[in-house]
Amino acid sequence: MMRVLIRLWHHTTRLVPVVFLLGCGVIVPLAPAAPLDVDRAVIDEQNQRIATIQKVHPAIVAVCMQGGQGVGSGVLIDPEGYALTNFHVVQPTGPLMQAGLADGVLYDAVVCGIDKVGDVALIKLLPKEKGKPFPYVKLGDSDKVRAGDWSLAMGNPFSLAMDFTPTVTYGIVSGVNRYQPPEGKGLLEYTDCIQIETSINPGNSGGPLFNMDGELIGINGRGSFEKRGRVNSGVGYAISINQIKNFLGHLYGGIDSDHATLGAAIGTANEDAPLTQMVVKQILDESDAYRRGLREGDQLLEFAGRRVNSTNEYKNILGIFPKEWRLPLTIRRGTTTSEMLVRLMGHQAQVIERKEPVPGQPPPPPQPIPKGPRPSGEAAKMYEARKGFSNWYFNVIEQKKLLDKFRKHGDFTELVGTWTLEGQYEQTDRKGPMKIVLTEGPDGTKVAMKLNIETTLEPLRQTDLRLQQEPIGSGGLMMAFYHYRRFLTLGAKGFEGLFAYGGYAPFYPFPRDGSEPKSLAALRVDCDTMITKHGSVECRWYFARTDATLLGFETYVAKDADNLDDRDPCEVYFHDYKDVGGRKLPHTIDVRFGNKRYATLTVTNYNLAK
Amino acid sequence: MLTDPPGAFFPQLRTAMLTRTIWVGIVALLALLPAPAVGHAADPLVDVAQKANKKLVKLFGAGGFSRLNNYATGIIVSPQGHIITVASQILDTPDLVVHLYDGTRLQAQVLVTERELDIALLKVKSPGKKFEDPLDEPLEYFDFLAAAKRPPAEVGDWVIALSNTFEIALRDEPLSVQRGVIAAYTKMAGRRGVFEFPYTGDVYIVDAITNNPGAAGGALLNRKGELIGIIGRELKNTLSETWMNYAIPVTGKAEVVQRVLLKDMNGNIVKDKDGKEVYEEKTVTVTMAQFVELGMQGKYKPIEGKTTIGGIGGYHGILFVPNILERTPAYIEDVVPGSPADKAGLRPDDLVSFIDGEPVISINAFHDYIKKRTRAGTVIRLEVRRGEVLETVELTLEAHPATSPSAPAPAPPKQ
Repeated sequence: MMRVLIRLWHHTTRLVPVVFLLGCGVIVPLAPAAPLDVDRAVIDEQNQRIATIQKVHPAIVAVCMQGGQGVGSGVLIDPEGYALTNFHVVQPTGPLMQAGLADGVLYDAVVCGIDKVGDVALIKLLPKEKGKPFPYVKLGDSDKVRAGDWSLAMGNPFSLAMDFTPTVTYGIVSGVNRYQPPEGKGLLEYTDCIQIETSINPGNSGGPLFNMDGELIGINGRGSFEKRGRVNSGVGYAISINQIKNFLGHLYGGIDSDHATLGAAIGTANEDAPLTQMVVKQILDESDAYRRGLREGDQLLEFAGRRVNSTNEYKNILGIFPKEWRLPLTIRRGTTTSEMLVRLMGHQAQVIERKEPVPGQPPPPPQPIPKGPRPSGEAAKMYEARKGFSNWYFNVIEQKKLLDKFRKHGDFTELVGTWTLEGQYEQTDRKGPMKIVLTEGPDGTKVAMKLNIETTLEPLRQTDLRLQQEPIGSGGLMMAFYHYRRFLTLGAKGFEGLFAYGGYAPFYPFPRDGSEPKSLAALRVDCDTMITKHGSVECRWYFARTDATLLGFETYVAKDADNLDDRDPCEVYFHDYKDVGGRKLPHTIDVRFGNKRYATLTVTNYNLAK
Repeated sequence: MLTDPPGAFFPQLRTAMLTRTIWVGIVALLALLPAPAVGHAADPLVDVAQKANKKLVKLFGAGGFSRLNNYATGIIVSPQGHIITVASQILDTPDLVVHLYDGTRLQAQVLVTERELDIALLKVKSPGKKFEDPLDEPLEYFDFLAAAKRPPAEVGDWVIALSNTFEIALRDEPLSVQRGVIAAYTKMAGRRGVFEFPYTGDVYIVDAITNNPGAAGGALLNRKGELIGIIGRELKNTLSETWMNYAIPVTGKAEVVQRVLLKDMNGNIVKDKDGKEVYEEKTVTVTMAQFVELGMQGKYKPIEGKTTIGGIGGYHGILFVPNILERTPAYIEDVVPGSPADKAGLRPDDLVSFIDGEPVISINAFHDYIKKRTRAGTVIRLEVRRGEVLETVELTLEAHPATSPSAPAPAPPKQ
């Protein structure tokens, strides 16, 4: 009843201008066939708008429970049938659901990745005919959206359309870079989001927000509904597509992704001051930020390339990144300004632990399917539960995609004999010949490394952390080479702990000549990542998004060491890829640990035996 | 979408196409081609919003409890930091603060309010300076008087609303932007008793949901970014249970009927043959422009309530509990036997909660109302809480008995 009233009310008020215009028209007698005297620009604009709506129309998704009961909206973003929606939309459906498109057809669908804090989920629709492409929309650039821009919201509010034909609403962007605090238990935090007056209502959740070119600029998810019950009150929020782009790798990879904290409390230096200064109020010893040199009282100037002037701005910047991303931070202490690269810490763990049971956290143990037809066998086959992942099935797919691309640079699976690398090493105070020998097999697994002095490591037998981290000051370069060889020769088989696709992440290769860069932020290269665990050692592997070149990797010999300084990884950066026997291999290898460069190795000779 | 200037050329072109040869028409059409950049890419809303945002402030004051917001919006009307906003309870504090568009935080002070226009004039000061001092840096502002001279916007006109709705913006975050259409230019009839609303003049009713918490004092602009109105309060029409979205026009005015003591040419109070003062009714018009202009000069005198009668009000015979706090609740200690209160059946321990439908927050408020709005013969309706129930009683006030203590003095404490 209430809904009807409100809609009627809107109707009446909207009619007024129309009536007014018609009233003007009456002055000039109009023949019935004569078109209304409307400005050409108005007609053009309208036609353009209709064309845009028609273009994106087929890609709008009505997300449904098994059986077709509507729970929200979504939008297809690639021809394979991947669609974005809200996490809170797929929460009640569990991992298997159905999805209706504007063509009136209901498809089976399955959850891939989720982002609980950001309220985003990626689902995949199964085509009715194998291999048939889905319609999809193009991702836009939400950093270019400005308050006052026109926008289109589409979806299935109030589950009005029984045949899934999307509803479209039209309005302006009321604000950008908005912060909306978490709704309940630290989840569903909307950071850096787009505020719209474009009407969104319950059921619009998960649906797309478009610019007038039909590019996806956000996912509609929330409104300030407090006042007028659960209906639009002129203020809605869309998650910016640029935030979602940061998580897209995680989402495709079926990861239960997490947002991050800096490990430090940032606040206003003096709330009453005429202008704000953001300072570090507190910092955790175990945070990466602390090890990189951030201290209490430091003033935060820039974070991830954006200026920080208020608490909301700080939260907006922090909130759009997945945990464990490395981001540049510019601080001022006294009169000096400095830049550092900081690894973000996850924070969902703490939030989740406090409350139990975790409400509707996919993947829960497969929920009892309420009603209606059971999912087709195919959809059910595309779901695989695993801790830390919302759907492991999709992680395996993304691993394969990435490694297939990577293998084009060379197949190392046959090279299981001894590896010998010879060349020169260079450190700050010395340089000389370098030799690394990697052996693995029934006769023993061993790394021998001669830089200044000779060190050896039996990675499978050595349990002493100090020796595992040799050579001293490298953070575990011998261990790193052991894992590198395993990764190239054995792949998934070589890592019994974990071998997973890790989503997108930035990587910052330092200049190969060993010089200190002017701007750390400028070093950034966007990468696909893999995460491996073997024994107690964890590695993160960074592949250029463009061509899957392995740009480097980080080896955490003891990620949870009691001595906090031991928690830093040995960082290896590969440069100078050249062809060796039909395989591309790096000929300059930069090694860093903590805040310092350990050594630069120049390889002149690779000998990789079968 | 209705577009402004570029479209103005098109009718001429169309005429040309109709009256001349097709060939000429084609040339005209070609000439048109570069123009349609008029589309959304060139839409002026973004610029209008950005420019206006610099002339508006976020306002923070009293409230923050029991659904009373402590935030609102304000419009800068002078380079020296005069700001207008809706006369709401958030102004009821010495710690009024504004945030400028660039995040600067300044202290503010209320200079004057006009209840009949539901408007208040504020002034900010630079840090470490006095309110009278010039600001360190002049502010961008809306020329209110120029705006008030323009003809009112018409029904059907596009409007843009900027406000800190829902307190979404802090410090240097820009205000929220909405657009809509003027749906009506009208008085909000039946406002007293239906709307808790003092303003009697015309308002713009808009079709966008502009009047949310914190939006009061925001700007209603036309497509050119010119100020046309001040977004009003959150008002609910209690008949239809719908929220009103309205703005008070910059051209707004209120006609107020005042009852004033009749004076002769020499300024002496005229008395009738019984020696009583004589009242006359006078209609006073008060405009927004006057308020802003005189207010900034420090010369504006607020109109007293139109029902203000002056004097000591009618006699009721209620004796309240000792009035020791600023806001002592209006508990009845006793009633004078034979008084209107006694006749109406009021009893000790009754709590007077409403008078003529207005909440009575304190004994002072009760006395104030009696003094300003009543005289002998006035019938007042009281709602009193007696135990767990709310009782409604009507009192016909009388003339003060010669012996009674001059109302509105509080009753003396009992032994």
